[in-house]
Amino acid sequence: MNRFELLNLLKETIKDELVICNIGLPSQELYKINDSPNYFYMLGSMGLASSIGLGLSLAIDRNVISIDGDGSVLMNMNTLATIGNRAPSNYTLLIVDNGSYGSTGDQKTFTNESTSLKDVAIGAGCKNVIECSGEETDENLKKALADKNNSYVIISKIQSGNVPIKPIPLNAVTIRDRFRKVIGLVPYL
Amino acid sequence: MKISQKIVTNLKEGGSDFFLSVPCKLLANMISILENDKDIYYSAIPREEEGMGICAGAYLGNKLPCIMMQNTGIGNSVNSIVSLLQLYQIPVVFLISYRGTSGEPVGAQGGMASVTEDILNTLRIPMLHCNTEDDLDKISTFTNHAKVIESPVAILCNFNLMKDD
Repeated sequence: MNRFELLNLLKETIKDELVICNIGLPSQELYKINDSPNYFYMLGSMGLASSIGLGLSLAIDRNVISIDGDGSVLMNMNTLATIGNRAPSNYTLLIVDNGSYGSTGDQKTFTNESTSLKDVAIGAGCKNVIECSGEETDENLKKALADKNNSYVIISKIQSGNVPIKPIPLNAVTIRDRFRKVIGLVPYL
Repeated sequence: MKISQKIVTNLKEGGSDFFLSVPCKLLANMISILENDKDIYYSAIPREEEGMGICAGAYLGNKLPCIMMQNTGIGNSVNSIVSLLQLYQIPVVFLISYRGTSGEPVGAQGGMASVTEDILNTLRIPMLHCNTEDDLDKISTFTNHAKVIESPVAILCNFNLMKDD
């Protein structure tokens, strides 16, 4: 299973949830599968999907899912310590771990060698850390969203590989405003 | 403690209700005040760039975030400021302890001090300089200004203003 197939598998589970999606191909694939205003697509600042989702989950009561990648978490690894100490129960970090930098040509990341993000997350203080296959990801994500008392970190181990795709045609402020409208903060759209 | 209390009070008056910090000796009193303030959210965090992401998320959820840090933190955060906060037009208040300004005992702080304002100017980030206690009265309006212009703004607190607080 590759990332596009995984996101397709999760389509129904996330369709009404607030999602912060990682820069590059993950966002482009999510846009292609099922664009929706409750998806915040990152167009820059690689590494910060987990952090943006954490900030949002601290500000509101609704569930928030950060869909991140192994390369991006490796770029902002201190995020796991902050999540381990501060994540509220409405926060879920889903790390799509395909062992590669997919958007830049599938160069291998360190999770393809000696690094275990599961072990790092546990060491950083994260509770409810689940490493699973792509096929098991949907049931684990459903469990995380249904649990109102705990935050989760789910590491979905899948294959690398991408589908032909175009850049997202939305500009950043459009993404911002339609996302905030879903939360109820934009009266003018 | 008087200066620190005045800064926090003015930030809150300007609308800030979500605070993060990466520590500095000059921010220690402000951090103590915020840790005991039940009206706002406060947390320490490990790195400024991560803080820009957390602040962006908090703004999406209707907070007006403030990140407290040394001026060195601007250097750690340039891409996140440009490609996240400015790209999506997200207001965040940077409350900066301006290390390396006159009175600073650590010579090594002079390097980042000498380029801090050039970086902020290059990024087109509005600045408020606080050199005296009277300057602190401008903080609440300037904080609200971030929200009005949907942009990060920087409040620079000089070493001598903070050192004996």
